[in-house]
Amino acid sequence: MVESMIRAEQLTSGYEKLTVFSDLDVAIKKGHITTIIGPNGCGKSTLLKTIGRILKQKNGDVFLQEKDMKSISTKAIAKQLALLSQNPEAPLQLKVEELISYGRFPHRKNVGKLSSKDKQVIEWAMDITRTTAFRDREIAQLSGGQRQKVWLAMALAQETNILLLDEPTTYLDLAHQLEVLQIVERLNKEHQCTIIMVLHDINHAARFSHELIAMKAGEIVTVGSPNEILEKDVLKEVFHINARIMIDPENGSPVCFGYDTLLAQEQGGPYGDNG
Amino acid sequence: MHKQDRNRFFMTISGLFALICFAGYIHITNGTFDMSVKDVVTTLLRMNPNHDFDLVIFEFRLPRIVIAALVGLGLGVAGTVVQGVTRNGLADPGILGINAGAGAAIVILMFLFQMQVTVSGTSNWLSILIMPVFGFVGGLVAAIIIYSIAWRNGKLDTERLILTGIAISSGFGALSMYISLKMREGDFEMATVWMSGSIYNANWLFIVAMLPWLLILVPVIYRKAYLLDYLQLEEASIKSLGIRVEKEKSILLLSSIGVISACVSVSGSISFIGLMAPHIARQLVGIHHRYVIPTSGAVGMLLVVISDYIAKTVFAPAEIPVGIVVAILGVPYFLYLLVKSKA
Repeated sequence: MVESMIRAEQLTSGYEKLTVFSDLDVAIKKGHITTIIGPNGCGKSTLLKTIGRILKQKNGDVFLQEKDMKSISTKAIAKQLALLSQNPEAPLQLKVEELISYGRFPHRKNVGKLSSKDKQVIEWAMDITRTTAFRDREIAQLSGGQRQKVWLAMALAQETNILLLDEPTTYLDLAHQLEVLQIVERLNKEHQCTIIMVLHDINHAARFSHELIAMKAGEIVTVGSPNEILEKDVLKEVFHINARIMIDPENGSPVCFGYDTLLAQEQGGPYGDNG
Repeated sequence: MHKQDRNRFFMTISGLFALICFAGYIHITNGTFDMSVKDVVTTLLRMNPNHDFDLVIFEFRLPRIVIAALVGLGLGVAGTVVQGVTRNGLADPGILGINAGAGAAIVILMFLFQMQVTVSGTSNWLSILIMPVFGFVGGLVAAIIIYSIAWRNGKLDTERLILTGIAISSGFGALSMYISLKMREGDFEMATVWMSGSIYNANWLFIVAMLPWLLILVPVIYRKAYLLDYLQLEEASIKSLGIRVEKEKSILLLSSIGVISACVSVSGSISFIGLMAPHIARQLVGIHHRYVIPTSGAVGMLLVVISDYIAKTVFAPAEIPVGIVVAILGVPYFLYLLVKSKA
């Protein structure tokens, strides 16, 4: 049994008067890549943000290595946990290297110069995300894919053992999606980083994760390995689709290679019977 | 932060200081009573003192220049903070209703003290020292109203902050107007001139009243300046870095309210400096707030000293309020910014 890195108990969260989910219990295993999947609006981003204390829960507790997060200062949490948000923004004139150096904030004692340790970590973060080549450019001059890697580098510069990623591949082309996920995989393998992310692409989720959490309408439907989740009945329940699954002969992970919506089938729509 | 950025900053600041000194020199030697450089220098150095020169320099011109410089500094610094915290380049202390709140409080004070406060003289030093306090309370009341409406779900909603600010600003403006209409005729005129921003009745007591506020709060802001760089990211990223966003924003905003109130209490509401100075500063030294804040303060100083010089000379011997000069210079600049930000 792997011990849990993050655990939520009876967690209730949402925005203003809207409660997105209530009384959720989740445990994230140490050293694993856990991906939350589910249809739009199911509460997966809200869950991630609440776990990452970006959003304050309405009720319940989140434990970071069995310690109540409310009892830890936000700066101390920032040394253990970094979150890459869905729509990060920075001034366009900011230089890449400077943005990445912001990740050192929780480790810096004074506001003056970066220590040699800071610089070393920044170099490492740029190296692992392959952003060193454009370190002197301004954010405005970067493509979407480059920008996402820079943001990832900033999160890495925080030097945490937990990384939360909110849809890190959205808006990226196929090659960049894969590149970002491979960086994540490498962090997990080489640095034992515990990773929790939200992904829309269930094939990517299956390929890169140890564990999937399937959510629907504010409930956790089921938790399990990619093989257990990429399964006809589960996908039918979660996404309301009729999926066709096979095993990728190259890497052995399950792949959904085609699907139809159940709605169209029920109605006998034009796409209903071409499977 | 690179070395070239730092060099550019020091060059800019030195240049600005030279310009401020130059503007100050023009201001002190020119006026209805022209003086030569030699007269000014000998008077300042107390070499063969002359009563007329003493009066003009120490009682009229010097306090006025010092106040212009301090007000410009305060508004430039506070404007940078307000723009930084709201992440909105078109925000300005005036738009946020803080000016109007502080202004209304001081109009009330004027009404209660029957204008004694604006008449120079040492007998009413207490009421002059009270002015910034009153202004701060007014600015704070405005800020609390704005905050409580803009505060949603445990965080500060920037759009609501600006919208509420505009509403509160008109509300307090109306209140000031209403109270000033209740005043006696002479008082009303004084209050109106004061409200449009003027410093020609400057004296040393005003400086004593506002100086402590600046001496305490500007360093507080400067110490927190680096945080304004982080506050330019979007909320989730800032929180993820372990920055207590709401607390830091509150410290920065409250300090700015104090600075603005001190400025408003001596000069009335001078708008547009808080808007223009940060923009000019960013053009000069880039986006790092450690550099932008002092530069913006210096730009503010320069703008107010020059504007005040224009205010006193253009229609001499009649004076126009410096706030009006600033507005005349500021409106086209504001429109320019709007057009540019659209493009």
